Amino acid sequence: MNVYIYDDFLNKSKYNRAINRLEIKLTDLGLNGKIVRLGAIKNIHDAVESEIKNGAKTIVAVGNNETVFKTAAAVIEHQALSFIPQKTLFFVIPIGREDNSIANALGIKKEEDACNTLLARRIKKVDIGVAGRNYFIEKAEMEAEGAILEIDGYTVEIEEKGIISIINLAEKSNIIGDKKPKPNDGRLDIHIKTRSRNESFFSVKSFKIISKGQDLLLDSSVEIKTPVELGVIPGGLEIIVGKDRAFE
Amino acid sequence: MFNKDNRAEKFKDAETIIGGSIKVKGNFHGQGNIVIEGRLEGSLKTNASLFVGEQAKIVANIEAQDAIINGEVYGEIKIKKYLSLGSTAKIFGDIQYAEISVEHGATINGQLTVKAEVEDNKRKEKAIIEEEVEELPGEEGAA
Repeated sequence: MNVYIYDDFLNKSKYNRAINRLEIKLTDLGLNGKIVRLGAIKNIHDAVESEIKNGAKTIVAVGNNETVFKTAAAVIEHQALSFIPQKTLFFVIPIGREDNSIANALGIKKEEDACNTLLARRIKKVDIGVAGRNYFIEKAEMEAEGAILEIDGYTVEIEEKGIISIINLAEKSNIIGDKKPKPNDGRLDIHIKTRSRNESFFSVKSFKIISKGQDLLLDSSVEIKTPVELGVIPGGLEIIVGKDRAFE
Repeated sequence: MFNKDNRAEKFKDAETIIGGSIKVKGNFHGQGNIVIEGRLEGSLKTNASLFVGEQAKIVANIEAQDAIINGEVYGEIKIKKYLSLGSTAKIFGDIQYAEISVEHGATINGQLTVKAEVEDNKRKEKAIIEEEVEELPGEEGAA
């Protein structure tokens, strides 16, 4: 059974047409299932856990990056805490024009096309980034100046203003030069771009960020405090993806 | 081995890039190609190739398969195959290599040693050539 998690911003009238088109298409394709509206519930973790226990095979996040961030975290947490984890697939239906970089990177297009992708059930195991007790699918970002990264046996000190991006999955195919992000290699790509346009790149399994009080922004959705340890859960989530995804 | 022409190609897929505003401290051990444009203190080891930019400053012992060095290095350098020192290179330490090229203007304050591997390779090459010459058919018949 498919369970569709609708984000609360979809209650706005400007999304009515998109939602109607989506629901008609899902019915046409025989993909309709249970709809859970996030505005009406308090705890997404409890909702997702209860749906999986009730037999949900695919959890579909309907909304934007933030919807994906919180829904995926609930699925991952359920899998991590279950004695006998059930195999649950994850899918995203992007609504709206902005903040859908995760869906784009997964090769999932808007509403009706997304339904065809869901029907095709092309499944890939995707790594999940971990930052402290939080998860991220796409990237984590923070201001670079004064930050210190403790990596296996060495430290990296950044002395200029700029941005540190810790990338698991990326919409654009290049980080620096020809480097393609691989969200299934069990590693995180650290990309540091400073004001003087100097670029640095490290590929690591785990590391720690120490900073002068800057927060780390996960999947453009939630800020967490540093210092924090980061790592990756290899193949942490099985996701239904599109043909035009940004990775192999 | 690389030269200036294929350098860009080789380092396009570098495993690690240490940019100009970055300082790395500690023991940096990699498996792939490494580009250093910033500063590094400690030790540096890779099984692949190393490129050191003009503005880079390294205070570390270096071990690599091949290397192009254009910046400052304070420490011992051990290169298994080919080492290229650009005109802006400043080396303060002993260098071990199999093959080397040094551009006009490079500074070296240390002892240069050709690693035995080169001699071994030359001996092996000579032995192969001798074997091939011996095996050449028709030479005796023609005579």
